[in-house]
Amino acid sequence: MDTLASLLHTSPALAWMVVKVVIVFSAVMLLASVWTWVERRGSAMIQDRIGPNRAALFGRIRIIGLAQLLADGIKFFFKEDLEPHDVNKRLFWLAPFLAFVPAMLGFAVIPFGRDFVSGGHVYHLSVLDPGNGMGMLYPMAIGGLAVYGVLVAAWSSNNKWAILGGMRASAAMVSYEIGMSLAVVSIFMTTGGYDPAQIIAAQGSQPWHWNVVPQFLGFIVFFTCVFAETNRLPFDFAEGESEIVAGFNTEYGSMKFSLLALAEYAHMMTASALVVTLFFGGWQVPFVAHPGVMLSVLSFLVKLLFFAWVFVWIRWTLPRFRYDQMMHLGWKAMLPLSMVNLVVHAWLMSHGR
Amino acid sequence: MFLVFALITLLGALGMLLQRNIIVAGLCMVAAFFGVAGLFVLLANPVAAALQIIVYTGAILVLVLFVIMMLNSHEEEPAETPHPIQRWLSVALSLALGVGAVKLVLASRGVQQLAVQGAALPRGTTLEGVGAVLFAGHLLGFEVAGLMLLAAMVGAVALTKRNL
Repeated sequence: MDTLASLLHTSPALAWMVVKVVIVFSAVMLLASVWTWVERRGSAMIQDRIGPNRAALFGRIRIIGLAQLLADGIKFFFKEDLEPHDVNKRLFWLAPFLAFVPAMLGFAVIPFGRDFVSGGHVYHLSVLDPGNGMGMLYPMAIGGLAVYGVLVAAWSSNNKWAILGGMRASAAMVSYEIGMSLAVVSIFMTTGGYDPAQIIAAQGSQPWHWNVVPQFLGFIVFFTCVFAETNRLPFDFAEGESEIVAGFNTEYGSMKFSLLALAEYAHMMTASALVVTLFFGGWQVPFVAHPGVMLSVLSFLVKLLFFAWVFVWIRWTLPRFRYDQMMHLGWKAMLPLSMVNLVVHAWLMSHGR
Repeated sequence: MFLVFALITLLGALGMLLQRNIIVAGLCMVAAFFGVAGLFVLLANPVAAALQIIVYTGAILVLVLFVIMMLNSHEEEPAETPHPIQRWLSVALSLALGVGAVKLVLASRGVQQLAVQGAALPRGTTLEGVGAVLFAGHLLGFEVAGLMLLAAMVGAVALTKRNL
């Protein structure tokens, strides 16, 4: 890193910052686009079909259909960019970006590997260094913004189905945010800090000390709420294709639709990373007290991909809830459960456990 | 940096006032909130910035936009009989309020202490600090606010749900 920085005439800190941003951005982008394919293959597996396996590079190199990504991307770029007559033009253009940017930004604070020392400098493997004062509040804040993309897309399309989808999304977001925040607050309490690096360090390398074991209730609540926040089945009421055509993205086509879809997958990656950081020890490797940097990154990646797969798995296993059932679940089950979780842990802490 | 965030805040606020389309006005308000959050970060108070975004843009404005969509009112309607005097009165009133607010802030003890002691002042820039101040020093106010919100919630439910 030092030689690279001196070659570029910058300080190591700045060079490392750029490298980190590039790594995180491209990794999340790549994983999100790969996951569109994983979703299709996964659904095919679950439904006893084959799924997209025909796309091949130069008509020859068929890597179990992974070239489908390129084919989809090229198709989306060359499709006609249709804009219905009565849409609000500026907002119609803005909405895909409003959906995409928060989905990418949320990852910034999450450490994806342990720190390492090189040439006297400590390098942190997260875009925002620990001790920035924002900590886990940052992904919570950014996660709350994700709904604006859906809302703006829905409203600017000037379409009844779209508006229904947008309203459902905003109502769901507000209802599930509270339960989710309370689950996170009880982790802040038991950790005694709210910086992701602190939370990961406090969990240690023994899997039964990870937050998922003492706070299993909190994990259940958080994971359920994350599904509602990312608009994934069984809670994908913003889209609800069997009820309201395609919900908020009814009027979208070509690259704009692609951005909205990619935003959903990027959001899924960020959500999995949050689950891993909060409940599954982040980059900690089970039973290895001081793992190497590469091993810790690998461990984080394996956990992240597992939870991203669970998102796909659940989508193709569970049917969609009814809208009122979701509201009941949010307000009458998730919120009280996470309050119980909070109070129980507060009581345990006050009794010196 | 300060200028950028100040401009975002001011332009967002102006856009909110001048925009006839209510949803666009709401989005301008989001921009203004973002500018304020950026100013908090510049003041080395990231917790306030995060809370600003979580509470105002993440919850309150989403609810406001939800209600606007539900009522399906897209455009602000022009008044049937315009009263220009109202506009001038509102300008005068907001000017007076603005000048008063600036005077109050400049005359407050905190600003004077800041001039004397500078960076040595204790700061509530961590979540722990904010929580400790809130629950130790301002517990009564906190509880009163909670009670008021509860009362408002019960009132809203009682008004809308005639037969529970």
